[in-house]
Amino acid sequence: MPTVQLFVTCLIDSFYPHVGEAVVDVLRRLGVDVDFPRDQTCCGQPNFNAGLREEAKPIAQHTIRTFEAVDGDVVIPSGSCAHMLRHNYAELFADDPHWLPRAKALASRTYEFTEYLVDKLGVTDVGARWDGPLTYHATCHLHRGVGVDRQPRTLLAHVRGAEVRPLPEEYDCCGFGGIFSVEHPELSAEFLKRKIRNLESTQSPTLVVADTGCLMHIAGGLHRQQKTQRVIHIAELLNNI
Amino acid sequence: MDPFHQRIRRAISDEHLQEALDGNARRRVEARVTAFGSLPDWPERRQRAHAVRADVIENLDSYLEQFIHNAQNNGITIHRAKDAAEAVKIILDLVGAGGRPPLQKLIAKSKSMISEELDLNPALEAAGHRVVETDLGEYIVQLRGERPSHIITPAVHLRRSDVGQLFHDKLGIPYTEDVPTLTNTARKVLREVFLTADVGLSGVNFGVAETGGICLVTNEGNGRMVTTLPRTHIALMGMERLVPTLDDLALMLTLLPRSATGQKLSVYTQLIHKPLDGQQRHIVILDNGRSRLRASPLRESLYCIRCGSCLNACPVFRELGGHAYGAVYSGPIGSVISAGLFGSEFAPLAQASSLCGACKDACPVDIDLPKLLTRVRAGQADVERKEGQGLATPLKAGLQAFSLAARDPRLFAASQKLAALGTNLVSPASPWMHLPAATGWGYSKDFPKFAIKPFRERFIRQAAERAELKTTPQESPSKVHTSAVQRDCVQQFTEELNAVGGHILLTQDATASIIDFLHARNVDRIHLEPNTLDESALAAAGFTVAHAPDPSIRVGVTKALRGLADTGSVLVVDGDGHPLEASLLPEVHLVVLRKSDILPSLEDAIHLLRESRSAVVITGPSRTGDIEMTLTIGVHGPGEVHVFLTK
Repeated sequence: MPTVQLFVTCLIDSFYPHVGEAVVDVLRRLGVDVDFPRDQTCCGQPNFNAGLREEAKPIAQHTIRTFEAVDGDVVIPSGSCAHMLRHNYAELFADDPHWLPRAKALASRTYEFTEYLVDKLGVTDVGARWDGPLTYHATCHLHRGVGVDRQPRTLLAHVRGAEVRPLPEEYDCCGFGGIFSVEHPELSAEFLKRKIRNLESTQSPTLVVADTGCLMHIAGGLHRQQKTQRVIHIAELLNNI
Repeated sequence: MDPFHQRIRRAISDEHLQEALDGNARRRVEARVTAFGSLPDWPERRQRAHAVRADVIENLDSYLEQFIHNAQNNGITIHRAKDAAEAVKIILDLVGAGGRPPLQKLIAKSKSMISEELDLNPALEAAGHRVVETDLGEYIVQLRGERPSHIITPAVHLRRSDVGQLFHDKLGIPYTEDVPTLTNTARKVLREVFLTADVGLSGVNFGVAETGGICLVTNEGNGRMVTTLPRTHIALMGMERLVPTLDDLALMLTLLPRSATGQKLSVYTQLIHKPLDGQQRHIVILDNGRSRLRASPLRESLYCIRCGSCLNACPVFRELGGHAYGAVYSGPIGSVISAGLFGSEFAPLAQASSLCGACKDACPVDIDLPKLLTRVRAGQADVERKEGQGLATPLKAGLQAFSLAARDPRLFAASQKLAALGTNLVSPASPWMHLPAATGWGYSKDFPKFAIKPFRERFIRQAAERAELKTTPQESPSKVHTSAVQRDCVQQFTEELNAVGGHILLTQDATASIIDFLHARNVDRIHLEPNTLDESALAAAGFTVAHAPDPSIRVGVTKALRGLADTGSVLVVDGDGHPLEASLLPEVHLVVLRKSDILPSLEDAIHLLRESRSAVVITGPSRTGDIEMTLTIGVHGPGEVHVFLTK
């Protein structure tokens, strides 16, 4: 049975530990040994996206070292952080002959969670069930960044009892964008309003996403507007058996 | 609050603007998706186009040399300008030279973003000349004293009522919201301008290195007017705007109109190689920061073919429109190149992006715009490389502190604990915190509390349950068998021509059919391309035939060199009897085309245009969508196109 190294992401670690546990449960149920390198912190994306590359580099180097020390595929329950490791590390170290090959080696063994389940394990039905309607928001860095869209949808389609309703303008950004949501609150708020309006139009009480940044953003907006819809990570759904 | 944020707030609170922008985003994106539906191999074409543009930018000096050499051999005068001031001086000299007294000249101008870069209109006016924008959208923003708010749809920020009021105030017509009436008003005013202008100014969509020709893509017909009628034509071209060969041009032309306006081909695709009789042609090639951009990590942004699809796809542009950017070029591409071309005061534009990547997806030449945006943020537009350009100071400080913690697992874990305790103190009773708006986040959403026990403390190492791995066989995507149905070219040509609003008539005898047509329309005078119809039969039937342009003639008749099946287009080339004008000035254009001259697509025909002085691919009647994107037929070019298809 394979062993995977979980890169849980700093948001799940700090805010949503139960999502991390759901990821572990799903993988273990499928016979995968899950390990968690304890030195991991953040992938460095906040600094990279803000343009602070010199400060992103030591974080990225720390991450590369941490996962070089262990064997097996690296699984990340976030499209955004997977995109950071897979694409932005190469950009960050483009002129660095020492770190570039190491960044690429890590990238080549890195998988987003749903991608790992469907493409690597060949699983489409994890035995989950869900009563009632739900809808899915395709997060930007998941479907555009790492090109993972078919996988979460396949997994959703096999959840027994779930009625998956299409979300209008499902590929539109929710307005998180990391630092963008703080640096440009007015723009971010407009994106979020539209996302929430579209969610409401589905009359689905539950929105599923595969990225905790977007989860935090949309859920925070729903709470501010005193709405009742819930946002859950796809691992929570898949762990509902 | 800084001016950019002020402009953002103003744009967002402008309901009319929001309505206009929502409409633009929806319709443009849909039109684009539909248009690419007719080009199944577009992902592969997109990569080829990327490679073509990459090659051009890599070898720009040699392609420019080749282009200039060939254009000069064709009798076109080339001028090179290293910056805006030099370009303006060249243009002023060209405009001011010769011509009729007094020194004031009338300049008819078709859309050119380069001229916006140069701030050309004020300079020409200061020198005593009169400049008239002739693209409907540009004309509207010129009357309003504004800049275009979109590189393709300059008046995208306005509603029909705004235009109605504007035309009432400035042109003295009764107030109306009827788009055809408004369009027709502009047509009449501008028609006078075309016919009397001393100089025509245009942009360039592509220069072709191997021929020295330039390609212009327009819908209304004003681009054809300003390049055909005035005695002097000056084309303004960015130095990066080249393709090596006619084949490359044909490739680009399958992508550009689809991306820009959702058309398979724009109404008029002009290929200009030489001056017409009695005409002077000049091309001004502008650097203005492009060499610097090329030498910077933002080089890939020079691959841009200015289709505007990244603007239409961008959720930020959808909220702001073009004006809030405060730069000539807006949207994702504008946020990248403004800093590179015009300086780091434009770097904050790049922070206004969620890096969602919709722009990269929409780009027909696959420019990695999100990556370039992060490079601008990293200060790479600038020689000084100031990282975090445009970022607010407190955010920068916070991220610097975060970086220190994130490279040290113990410090990271300690910070997490501290944050959890802190947020618990702030909000003991709820899992949420209500942050003030000034924090940015608190402007529209609540913030979750840190977990008291983070994942790293909860993870327990244990073996997996040794359950059988439930592997369902992978669904192999069913192969799509699109057996290339070789459709009859004539059939396809007919369908496509009808789709763009053109008409077709099968005939054994074009002269007889056209005589019938003219009788039905009560027309007795036509502008006819020689050797197209039986002129003695026309004379016998009582028709007067002209072989030179005459604005009072309502019907022009030309041959078509070829027809194009996949777009319903006809090719008209310059020759005796002014066929270019015959297909442009009259309200009705009749085209005689032989069945056997219909080719599958532009790629099969483009080489035939190599030797022409000037040629145009006409795809239906002249049109505009510049007022609220309401399609209006018959702007400056003919409102009707009838093809008489002969054996």
